[in-house]
Amino acid sequence: MSTKTPSKADILRPIGTFSKKYLAVYSVAALGLIAFLIAWAYQLQKGLIVTGLGDWGTGGGATWGLYIGAFIWWVGVAHGGIILSASVRLLGMDRYMPVARIAEMTTIGGLSAAGFYILVHMGRPDRMVTSVLGHFHITVNNSPLVWDVTVITAYFVLSATYLGLTIRYDVNRLRDDLPDKFEPIYKIITFGYSEKEDEIIQRMVWWLAAAVIIMAPLLLHGGVIPWLFSLLPAMPAWTGGIQGPMFLSIALMSAISGVMIISYTFRRVYNWEHIITDDIFRGLLLWLGFFTLLFLWFQLQSVLNGVFLGPLNTAHAAEGKMAHPAYQVAMTMIFLTLVYIFLQAIRPALFSKTRALIASCAILAGTLTEKILFVVEGFFHPTFDIYTATPGTYFPSLIEILSLVGTASLVALLFLNLAKLVPVVELHAIEHLTGGHDHEHGHEETTKTETEPEVKA
Amino acid sequence: MSTDDESFHPLGQEWEDELETMLDDTEYDSDLGMEMAKDAMRVTKGELSEADFHEKYHEDVMDEFGVDDRPTEEAYEEAKKNAGGFAEMLKSFDGDGDESRRDVMKKMGVGAAAVGLGAWGTAEGGQPNVADESGGHSTEAHREGDTQWGMAIDLERCDGCLSCVRACAQENNLDQGVNWMYVLDYEDGGADTSQNRLVRPCQHCTDAPCEKVCPTTARHTRDKDGLVLTDYDVCIGCRYCQVACPYGVNYFQWDEPDVSTEEIAAEHDGEGDMMVDSRGRWVDSRSPRGTMSKCTMCPSRQDGFSGEDKIGTSACEDACPPDAIQFGNMRDENSDPQRYIENPSRGRALRDLGDKETTAPSLNAIEEDIADADADLASVLEASEDLDEETLRTMKAIEIVTEDFGEGDADSVDYEVHINDIFDLLEEHGLDLDSQEVLVELDLADEPDEGEEFEGADEGDAQDAIDDYDGRPSSSFKLLEDVGTNPNVVYFGNEPGPNAEQVEGPSAYADISYERADGSEPNLVDNRKEEILDEGTVGDAGVSL
Ligand code: SF4
Ligand code: SF4
Repeated sequence: MSTKTPSKADILRPIGTFSKKYLAVYSVAALGLIAFLIAWAYQLQKGLIVTGLGDWGTGGGATWGLYIGAFIWWVGVAHGGIILSASVRLLGMDRYMPVARIAEMTTIGGLSAAGFYILVHMGRPDRMVTSVLGHFHITVNNSPLVWDVTVITAYFVLSATYLGLTIRYDVNRLRDDLPDKFEPIYKIITFGYSEKEDEIIQRMVWWLAAAVIIMAPLLLHGGVIPWLFSLLPAMPAWTGGIQGPMFLSIALMSAISGVMIISYTFRRVYNWEHIITDDIFRGLLLWLGFFTLLFLWFQLQSVLNGVFLGPLNTAHAAEGKMAHPAYQVAMTMIFLTLVYIFLQAIRPALFSKTRALIASCAILAGTLTEKILFVVEGFFHPTFDIYTATPGTYFPSLIEILSLVGTASLVALLFLNLAKLVPVVELHAIEHLTGGHDHEHGHEETTKTETEPEVKA
Repeated sequence: MSTDDESFHPLGQEWEDELETMLDDTEYDSDLGMEMAKDAMRVTKGELSEADFHEKYHEDVMDEFGVDDRPTEEAYEEAKKNAGGFAEMLKSFDGDGDESRRDVMKKMGVGAAAVGLGAWGTAEGGQPNVADESGGHSTEAHREGDTQWGMAIDLERCDGCLSCVRACAQENNLDQGVNWMYVLDYEDGGADTSQNRLVRPCQHCTDAPCEKVCPTTARHTRDKDGLVLTDYDVCIGCRYCQVACPYGVNYFQWDEPDVSTEEIAAEHDGEGDMMVDSRGRWVDSRSPRGTMSKCTMCPSRQDGFSGEDKIGTSACEDACPPDAIQFGNMRDENSDPQRYIENPSRGRALRDLGDKETTAPSLNAIEEDIADADADLASVLEASEDLDEETLRTMKAIEIVTEDFGEGDADSVDYEVHINDIFDLLEEHGLDLDSQEVLVELDLADEPDEGEEFEGADEGDAQDAIDDYDGRPSSSFKLLEDVGTNPNVVYFGNEPGPNAEQVEGPSAYADISYERADGSEPNLVDNRKEEILDEGTVGDAGVSL
């Protein structure tokens, strides 16, 4: 397997083929999305009463729940994805080039899902344009929700541009091998292309990547998104500066896990062992371990701050959080994954792609649970925690749970469609893998052949 | 929006300068234009009435332009009914729809245009939203204007009967469980055995977090009187206001409300429909599906739609049997809440001795009783059944400590007037209540030392007498003041601490029913989630995270 040389034909394979399995997966994803669209239509007809939400305070419910939890989770996946890809380009982490585009596409998918959640969550989505845009010049000064929407839109544009620019390069070079039926699309993508622009585009992409990395802590998941919660003074479960780094670490964990799962799938289906190598998985797993460590560290910080010596509202919130079974399960799962990642770093024999896959799933499930719980906990332990006759209760309704299926299907469909249209591994990566084979990559190959038998053992 | 900018227009100084230059370009008087612009902004903020604005400038406009096409006051009133409002008035400057905006502004030469292109644009949509752009947001604590509605609530007087909760639900046609007004008992640990009860409306915070976070300006402070309201036509139902409010006073309309707008409108055949306020924005009564609601402090009443005598009152205040709620203008030192805040034991005693509907001594009874009595204090007290020494002492004490006794337009002035009537009756009978003899006898003045002159009533003694009568509240506070919301509700009584936990109160929500415009008479509901919302949940798991 390691003797295969990556070629153009490899990355074109998804575009040229059409299998029954593909059709099956496509149908399942489409069904998942349609099922949720129907559920949403029902929600629009009946009102948000179909959810398990309620009014915090005397109403005995939680104002926000799975919709908002999943919203910030998807935004996290998206933001982590773009940071991952930007690091590859900016910091010269060429080793990960084969998964850079997958990370970018994950970003687009994540942002689409998140944007969808905004609409699903609202009581009057029909007023989005008139009410939000119409007063933007006023509300942008005050409302973290408006900052969020602004930043998400900005990043959608940024990521799409970024992705578009690199795809343009590829499509132009591979044009002859691409199917004619999509001709109009390719025409648009490569409109006005000339080879002279390559260098400029390279530089533009570099600057875009620099912008992403520099703004990550503030404008991406380390700032604006946590501010939605952390700036509110009366919900101690949310308040505090730690939420910035916390959100950022969760974003990176989720994105790395997501990218691993998607890469694993592509590798399996299209026999890309020589492109998305074991080495990439090992590397990603280590990064995942690093961010998981940070995450657990931040959790410790935030929880300890409450339980040690108050103040009372923070103490109640922290105690409530720690005592929650779902929190304990999520944290244990994440912690065990971290233990595994460290063990396999010490003893490479413990690595296997299946285990990496399981670790990724555990992290994704853990972060999603943490996000939903995080949102709900705010309402369960407010500073004004007097309404004991109407304690906050919440459990997602079937429609809310179905929304997870729907948005996951949405992202899957995006990949399924894109995979038929453009290469999901960029041409640069292939050029790099073949060109750099002798020096740097040669070394990687040896490590891989060394470890391969161990894995099988 | 920054307030350090001296400009009067929300778009700021720059916009104004541009406007001024534009006006300078015309043959018309730019000073007049700017002056009008300023006042036009005041109109949008509700500080100046539209009719006054018209009146003020009619002559100037005639002088300057030789014609004033704007409608007369009558015509304006007529136009307002047709929902155009101020925007319509502005439009009348524009003779010909084809002219460019700049031309129109030049021709008009008046700063009325300064109300803003944006406002113009929205007004054309038929929605009188002129106030949106400017009046929408005043998150700073320094809102101008003389009126800020608010409450003083005496928790030690509240008997937990839930009459206010009921009256509010009735007045606003609320769904069950939407308790804009809420009353709860709590335990706070420790040995404190005095009454622990909280009456909780929306605090109409001056620095309202709910308003700050709203992504649409639907949640806004009404500039003319500081009410924090939700524009049901603008709200997108994101629920961020509910999330950000520290007090948990918001209620989302999760499904179609029980009572329709037609039914509400039909219930109110006088002025106003109990939904649209004086600015033409839908902010009152229960909210429509998918939007947020909370206690409004009765804007329809404050706008005079429920009659002149209801201005400065709220449904809950009217309904409270022991008069624990004082509603009024927090920026007027003579308003009910401010008088109460200034001297709460006086407020308590005054209500008990001055409210002829309930506890106060009756004028007729006294008159009958003392008809044949002598004119000295002892005989009068002896003869009257209603009047004993303590009662009279406290009444007199109230007069002594009160400036401008019996004057003003606060509700409690009626009580003072009643006490005054009793005093007049006694004076007529021949009892001089300001005499040394009577005052000393009532312990309201000291006997002068030999050779010294009588100094009249002693305010200290008077205050003591009042304090003794109904007691002083244990403390006064604003709820969660340290969160920085600047609430406009002031409480008297015990402040709930961080460990306070709700316990059962004297009356159960389920035992009380209220009438609604559709003829239904449901009972109040405490836990909305459990009793109402869960029924609509698809796949209610019956468990909680
Ligand atoms: S109590 Fe204050 S923050 Fe809460 S809804 Fe009322 S005005 Fe807004
Ligand atoms: S629910 Fe309505 S009023 Fe509340 S923040 Fe959202 S848009 Fe504003």
